[in-house]
Amino acid sequence: MAGRAVFNNVLEMLPGIDNPTPMVRVNRLSPSSGYALYAKLEWQNPFGSVKDRVAGFMIRDLLERGQLSAGRGIVEPTSGNTGLSLALACAALGYRVRAVVPNKVPLEKKILLKLCGAELDVVSDALCPAPGASEGSINLAKTHAKAQPDRYVMPNQYENEQNVLAHYRTTGPEIWQQTDGRITHLFVSLGTCGTVTGTARFLKEQNPAVKVVAVLPPEDHDVPGLRSASQLEATKLYDPSVIDEQMEIHHDLAYERARDLATMEGLPAGPSAGLILEGARRVIERHPTGVGVMIFPDNSFKYVSNFAKHLPELVEGTSV
Amino acid sequence: MAKYAHPEVLVTTDWVKENLGKTGIKVVEVDVDTKQYDAGHIPGAVGLNWQTQLQDQVRRDILDKAGFEQLMSASGISPDDTVILYGDNNNWFAAYAFWLFRIYGHEDVRLMNGGRNKWLAEDDKKLTVEATATTPSRYTAKAPDLSLRARVTDVIQAVESKTHNLVDVRSPDEFTGKVLAPPGLTETAQRAGHIPGARSVPWSSAITTDGTFKPAEELADVYLSKAAVDPDRETIAYCRIGERSSHTWFVLSYLLGLQGVRNYDGSWTEYGSMVGLPIERTVEM
Repeated sequence: MAGRAVFNNVLEMLPGIDNPTPMVRVNRLSPSSGYALYAKLEWQNPFGSVKDRVAGFMIRDLLERGQLSAGRGIVEPTSGNTGLSLALACAALGYRVRAVVPNKVPLEKKILLKLCGAELDVVSDALCPAPGASEGSINLAKTHAKAQPDRYVMPNQYENEQNVLAHYRTTGPEIWQQTDGRITHLFVSLGTCGTVTGTARFLKEQNPAVKVVAVLPPEDHDVPGLRSASQLEATKLYDPSVIDEQMEIHHDLAYERARDLATMEGLPAGPSAGLILEGARRVIERHPTGVGVMIFPDNSFKYVSNFAKHLPELVEGTSV
Repeated sequence: MAKYAHPEVLVTTDWVKENLGKTGIKVVEVDVDTKQYDAGHIPGAVGLNWQTQLQDQVRRDILDKAGFEQLMSASGISPDDTVILYGDNNNWFAAYAFWLFRIYGHEDVRLMNGGRNKWLAEDDKKLTVEATATTPSRYTAKAPDLSLRARVTDVIQAVESKTHNLVDVRSPDEFTGKVLAPPGLTETAQRAGHIPGARSVPWSSAITTDGTFKPAEELADVYLSKAAVDPDRETIAYCRIGERSSHTWFVLSYLLGLQGVRNYDGSWTEYGSMVGLPIERTVEM
């Protein structure tokens, strides 16, 4: 009963055309008053991020194929959000989750994963990696699934078409409806690329003129969940044919713009949202009219230690 | 098509699958991330820990002869066994173990081409968490062949005499001196840069995207043509602590067949910490 916001279980809260995540207009930070810039607040999902959609679709698919049981849970490589979504959804359903995360994931997310019942493996970040080599967290998760197939199934968000389908069936249609089909630009960041591939495919099918702008951080960046150009090799869901413009923006701006979103728009957005806002602002300066939608993956609360590192002035005056 | 100089030291994942459990075949996993073996290993494989088992636990040194004999005996390995090594990170520490096996004269030691990742990626290859049962042996090692190992004094002499190929296999940022070590690693040096006269050939220049070694002619192009490694001179390969350079030592010695190749296991963490030695650095700190 989405209309009255009363649900029989938390999984009913997962979004869709009848229960979309909210879109909020960004006013003071838009460079042009003639451009309607919206933020789609994915942290309003029940487990707190855009990954709820993906987790919901992947779990439903596993259940339909009879892949989960009392003894057999999920193992998944994650930078945190997918792990949290999977852990909480599986907690509601009674399945076990093991999350494999890179060490650079902030402590907040590691603690939260454990708080939400996930078993946690932390792996070293890539050390002098070979180009094209798969990553440690993906390899360790695959190892668990291969060595203990009776205990774990790995949905693998980096290869699972359900990741794309989730956005094709929910995020895209929501945005199309919420903008009455007037959207001119979609602004996204790149991680597994499920969001951009699924949402862009849907929107371009409705109107091929919709421009898709993807932002990404440089190499050696510090924006959890996002991938630099070379890191995109790890995902099989990256489809450059649906992306009209790909923009590399330094990660310092991710944190500065995230602060701007909080202090000037009242939006407690995470660093990836900050990076997306910066990309949108650059496009709007070139195209001062239009209707743009930024998909904000999550909020700032899970990134306290990252903000403290990149905006060290925030730490000043926090103790006696 | 050119062949590897010593193709017998490489086996494929398919070969390992077919020969698992046969008498005289011992499969040994050595990882950078020592959690990997416990999470799942090739059935019957013994796991060796590079930090606690392949090094002297008091001074900084390789395992001594008695220690190597003890480790092999406890692992159920005999001198006449065919030892197949594999590991994560494209066989970094598997190659280091290969070097150690050769130092102590083990005759038949081979690398599984592509390492752990290739096995993991192939659907017909199994992993297990079952503990491997071993029957202790009585292993007698040969006197260490220290011609395979470069010490810092050898390196200093090579720098002064300019008579050797010095191959730095670290990442370009470590070579130029932009970083001391890849992020997150505890073993670093006091100074960043590289050994004067060294050429930068990152270890990964030797492998293809599936982690297996490049064909012989491509390796020759990388090392002999582009990096101008002179096969008529002796060669010293180094990295940070000697594992990535073991990988390159293996390539130069066994795949390209160069003579007089040594692995400098002290590597940058030793050289870059020595007082008064010359260092080249190509970026401002």
